Amino acid sequence: MLYPFPSLLSCPVLSETQLISVTHLFPGAPLPSLPHALSLTDSTDSDLELAMVRHQPEGLEQLQAQTKFTRKELQSLYRGFKNECPSGLVDEETFKLIYSQFFPQGDATTYAHFLFNAFDMDRNGSIRFEDFVIGLSVLLRGSVTEKLRWAFNLYDINKDGYITKEEMLAIMKSIYDMMGRYTFPSVKDDAALEHVEKFFQKMDRNRDGVVTIDEFIETCQTDENIMSSMQLFENVI
Amino acid sequence: MAAGVAAWLPFARAAAIGWMPVASAPMPPPPRDKRRGQDGLIILNVSGTRFQTWRNTLERYPDTLLGSTERDFFFHEETNEYFFDRDPDIFRHILNFYRTGKLHYPRHECISAYDEELAFFGIIPEIIGDCCYEEYKDRRRENAERIQDDEENENNKDMVPPDMSFRETMWRAFENPHTSTMALVFYYVTGFFIAVSVMANVVETVPCSSGPNRAKETSCGERYALAFFCLDTACVMIFTVEYLLRLIAAPSRYKFVKSVMSIIDVVAIMPYYIGLVMTDNEDVSGAFVTLRVFRVFRIFKFSRHSAGLRILGYTLKSCASELGFLLFSLTMAIIIFATVMFYAEKGSSASKFTSIPAAFWYTIVTMTTLGYGDMVPKTIMGKIFGSICSLSGVLVIALPVPVIVSNFSRIYHQSQRAEKRRAQKASKEAGQALVCKSNPTFETQHHHLLHCLEKTTNHEFVDEQTYETSCMEVSLAKPSMSRSSSMSSSQHGLSSCCTRRNKRKTFNVSNSNMVAGRRGSIQELSTIHIRERPLSNSRSSLNAKFEETVPLNSEEQSYITAAVISMPTPPVTTPEGGDSTSSHDFLQSNIVRVSAL
Repeated sequence: MLYPFPSLLSCPVLSETQLISVTHLFPGAPLPSLPHALSLTDSTDSDLELAMVRHQPEGLEQLQAQTKFTRKELQSLYRGFKNECPSGLVDEETFKLIYSQFFPQGDATTYAHFLFNAFDMDRNGSIRFEDFVIGLSVLLRGSVTEKLRWAFNLYDINKDGYITKEEMLAIMKSIYDMMGRYTFPSVKDDAALEHVEKFFQKMDRNRDGVVTIDEFIETCQTDENIMSSMQLFENVI
Repeated sequence: MAAGVAAWLPFARAAAIGWMPVASAPMPPPPRDKRRGQDGLIILNVSGTRFQTWRNTLERYPDTLLGSTERDFFFHEETNEYFFDRDPDIFRHILNFYRTGKLHYPRHECISAYDEELAFFGIIPEIIGDCCYEEYKDRRRENAERIQDDEENENNKDMVPPDMSFRETMWRAFENPHTSTMALVFYYVTGFFIAVSVMANVVETVPCSSGPNRAKETSCGERYALAFFCLDTACVMIFTVEYLLRLIAAPSRYKFVKSVMSIIDVVAIMPYYIGLVMTDNEDVSGAFVTLRVFRVFRIFKFSRHSAGLRILGYTLKSCASELGFLLFSLTMAIIIFATVMFYAEKGSSASKFTSIPAAFWYTIVTMTTLGYGDMVPKTIMGKIFGSICSLSGVLVIALPVPVIVSNFSRIYHQSQRAEKRRAQKASKEAGQALVCKSNPTFETQHHHLLHCLEKTTNHEFVDEQTYETSCMEVSLAKPSMSRSSSMSSSQHGLSSCCTRRNKRKTFNVSNSNMVAGRRGSIQELSTIHIRERPLSNSRSSLNAKFEETVPLNSEEQSYITAAVISMPTPPVTTPEGGDSTSSHDFLQSNIVRVSAL
């Protein structure tokens, strides 16, 4: 397959979810990371401790309750997800790799980083199936407000409830990076900045230099283009 | 491979909602989704062994038997399953190909049986995964050679096709002595005469018993000069005739003249002719004698008769660097020790080590442990260094030799394998291009995603060349023309197959743009377009109107290379009218934009 999911993962925190516990062959050796991380050590190579962490998602009923997908949709989603990530987790590098495949002309890694943070809700460095499916549920089956909230969360890099110009500039630059060099008209250096200025002019009602969630949602709701484009991907799954 | 990317596309599309609030332009409408039925299980009964898989899995590769409607021919109504009367063991691998995207070759299977199954199910062997590819190709080559040998044996028993010209027959006779009796006779006769000639050269120098009235012993050559001369003449005549016949029969005379064997032939017979031409002039007799040495080259003519000699020659050639290194290290050691020995023995009287070059001989003889004893050191220092020399000689000589021997086999096999792999890679990529067609649905959805990104940033993807062209054209105030050319050009993609294909087309297009001049109408551009891509656009050109075809194709072209592992697939227009209209509507707006300048 395209994506050799690494058996050597930087051990993420796996707190409340079920974990497959495998006999740790070196009980004396301190685990290199957090207490909940468990590993399967390759007995053939005692020097190299290969940690293969596996993750099982919550039950189908729980996910059905948390998301707006039907049972069949969840099944199909999980099958696809599991096919690509047999370990049940996507780490950031793999995510960037996958996302970059869709944008061969440009550099999608920065935007993928922001996207990863938007999906990885508990900020543990990896996307589990639950995160994946909850995110998709908002994007595909959520109300417009929920989608806008999701977008706001994406732009708000430090998740403090305000979008500053710097944050928006970073996001905008990453989007323009995805375009790559060969565009028409060619991307000027300050294209991103201009775009950000336009955005702030539109969104920042009280001209305080930041965009709050309410300003954002309000402005978007008045913009026809944005509202119609939110409905664009209804039937993706 | 396409399966993996395709699985994430819905996610990437959903994530595109993140661009919506910052988009500079309205988004393009999404492509109509062909809602196939619910993903269901398909039962494949292969000679009694039931395999089951999802319908979607099979349809990942729509140009194979199982992925297309061709499988309907095998549908068995009574049992509601697809029945194939084929080998279930090999089918397992074929089904795994659909599941994982990688085709593996089981080593215990017969290569021809496997090939047959692949051919039946419409899978091109070039997509065999890297893990099994080499093995597969090796086995295939062996099989092909076996078949070829069999065919040759059969052919040899057959009558020569009568329409082969005399020249071709002759060449064939020369190259394959066992094709006809005449050729075999010729082969043995020439072999015999080579041996005779070489023996004559050797015996010529043996001193024959001299008569009692002779002062000194003469060699047989001088005694029976006439006999030897006649023998030599006969041999040379035969060799000359043979060479001329080969020259006439050769399909490519220039290549023949350049070949090693013909050079050996020429070198073998030239001395005789030069000797004929030259008189018994004392000045040149020395040179003449030297020339006779070249007669020994006749022995190399045996390499035509022996395949082993040829292989040896080839391996020597391929080991040249190792041999060179051995020579270099030896030379270094020789010079060092010769210098040391010379200076060590300088003091002693009547020393044979008169100069460093004279000491070379000693060093070589000592290092190769020959030890003739014609030069020996007399001083103590000389003896010390002499012993060091012989000890190190053992090391210097002995060590590289096994390395070279193993290098022979290693390099030989390696060069064979490297060449194989290079050849395989080319055909593999070509095969990849043919076989990794992903869903048309995937294509359209991916294109739509990229289009959304374009709209978000209000810039368009263009190809590298048209990017440069448009940079040049920026000075000329005709942005629209460049845009049309950019629209009709392709992207610089990752996938090599697409890049190759589309770059070629792009080049033609931008050329035509230049040629057509800035005043070239869209019509002209589109004409050129259509002509250059008859294959991929056949369906669209049948379905769509003329003006719409071009931007349609160009839209497709501009994204096709962006699709990760795909081939330019037939564009959006499917047989369903609904799809066409929606995409046409979507493109109509573009057309309007372009023509509005």
